[in-house]
Amino acid sequence: MVPIKTIAIVLAATILIALPLVVKNAFALDICIRVLLFAFIGVAWNLMGGYAKQLSLGHAAFFGLGAYTSTLLLIRLGISPWIGIVAGGVVAMLVSLPIGWLCFRLRGPYFAIATIAVAQVLMLLFLKLRDFAWGAEGTTLPNLGNAPLMMQFGGKAGYYWLALVLLALALAITYRIERSWMGYYLVAVGEDEDAAEAIGVNAPRIKRDVYLISAFLTALAGTFYVQYIYFIDPNTAFSFNVSVEAALVSIVGGIGTLWGPVLGTILLEPTSALLQSTLGSGRGGVQLTVYALILMAVILWRPTGLLGIFTDTYQRIARRG
Amino acid sequence: MAEALVVRGVSKRFGGLRAVADFSFSVNEGETVALIGPNGAGKTTSFNLITGYYRPDAGSITAFGRELVGLPPYEICTLGLARTFQVARPFGQMTVLANVMTGAFLRDRRPHIARERAREAIRFVGLADKENALAADLTTIDERRLEMARALATEPKLLLLDEVMAGLNPSEIDQAVGLVGQLAQRGLTIVIVEHVMRAIMAVARHIVVLDHGQKIAEGTPRTVVGNPEVIRAYLGTGYAHPHPHATD
Repeated sequence: MVPIKTIAIVLAATILIALPLVVKNAFALDICIRVLLFAFIGVAWNLMGGYAKQLSLGHAAFFGLGAYTSTLLLIRLGISPWIGIVAGGVVAMLVSLPIGWLCFRLRGPYFAIATIAVAQVLMLLFLKLRDFAWGAEGTTLPNLGNAPLMMQFGGKAGYYWLALVLLALALAITYRIERSWMGYYLVAVGEDEDAAEAIGVNAPRIKRDVYLISAFLTALAGTFYVQYIYFIDPNTAFSFNVSVEAALVSIVGGIGTLWGPVLGTILLEPTSALLQSTLGSGRGGVQLTVYALILMAVILWRPTGLLGIFTDTYQRIARRG
Repeated sequence: MAEALVVRGVSKRFGGLRAVADFSFSVNEGETVALIGPNGAGKTTSFNLITGYYRPDAGSITAFGRELVGLPPYEICTLGLARTFQVARPFGQMTVLANVMTGAFLRDRRPHIARERAREAIRFVGLADKENALAADLTTIDERRLEMARALATEPKLLLLDEVMAGLNPSEIDQAVGLVGQLAQRGLTIVIVEHVMRAIMAVARHIVVLDHGQKIAEGTPRTVVGNPEVIRAYLGTGYAHPHPHATD
């Protein structure tokens, strides 16, 4: 007999893949794409922020570098974003090395603040690069219609599937890491760095390595995003919102768990979009106030993340059965 | 007999405080040595110096012929020195098994091998029935057991135990003494920092006494206990007897 778990996974995958064939509403599909994208960024952030508890609030740095690398290659040299997306990832990895070298000397809140500063500095840098990278005005990407080879698609379905592939990739990587020695080492470093070093864990190296992976993945999201919205400027690419969302979806969903960031995004992203569309036209800021209240309620009620509710319920049922 | 650990002329200051001054001692392979002294004598500081958590201001530390000064803790562990902490530091959100597996991964990256070796260490310290418990839920003695199992899982040649018996009741101390004795019988070299004299007398054949960061006595348990310098350090000058045999 085929185990129930396999059936459930195949079923879920089929539904997810077939979704854009059924859902034709552009607004709904847009929300789905954003959910997939932010879940992807959340999973990438969670590898470092969740498992190793290195709370970065500067992942926008890599998002922006990915976005700018592929866009510069596309517009300046006509190179396909399919190559640009990988190049962006590599650039992000290279930049993560000196950032990590500097920031990993700090622990806790000091580390978080340092990462914010790095992302802000990069944003300022790109604001100044007026000739090379279009400065504060930014630029639109050439609209080539339906050109899959240039990572542009006629409808939203193409973007949806691409985002789905990215998320699946990040989840697969996390799954592999979680079950290997590296997963144990990351959690150990997150729990107690000194105690981890006492049993032979090379903490500086493991932090550097996970930062490389996390930066690479986050940069892929950056390229995807500019290809999707056809526009880039420093405020979008290095938006502090990206850094915060990456951390937030993981914290709300369940930090240091495989599915936590996905669950967090499924709950937060549509909430935020719906609040924006229903309350956004009213008195300014109402939608943000409601959003913030929801966040506070979740964090007070379930500080270890909402995924815990599901696993607890599952275990209770399993124990009874 | 070959020397497992040689500490030579090591000093460490913290601001105006001289924590360890010109400290030397050595441990032969397979020997169990106890490091004793009143609170603040520099015992834990010595451990931190040996295991790379502090860098000495002067002196050299070699283990199995390798210089340790300047190496980070994880490399010192890789060379075969494992330690426990005075205050147990379990990875609270991991299970007992996962804690010990993390140690075992040092010698083999394959999860099934690490799991097997971790289970061996867990069984040895007597935690087998709690391998799936969360480390944060353990009692004090079980935390100490976990510390030991995690250190043993790294397959050390030299084990440094920092007050593993503090806070245990007499029957728990007997159990712990039994474990240390078994490890010594296996040929493991052990340096033990301890306040529980009964335990020290039972496990150590050689004792080094520290006071105010300096070595004041060294020798077999019998000679050390009778040493007037040691009695003065522990009890004050009024109790120091000129004739060692008077304490027998």
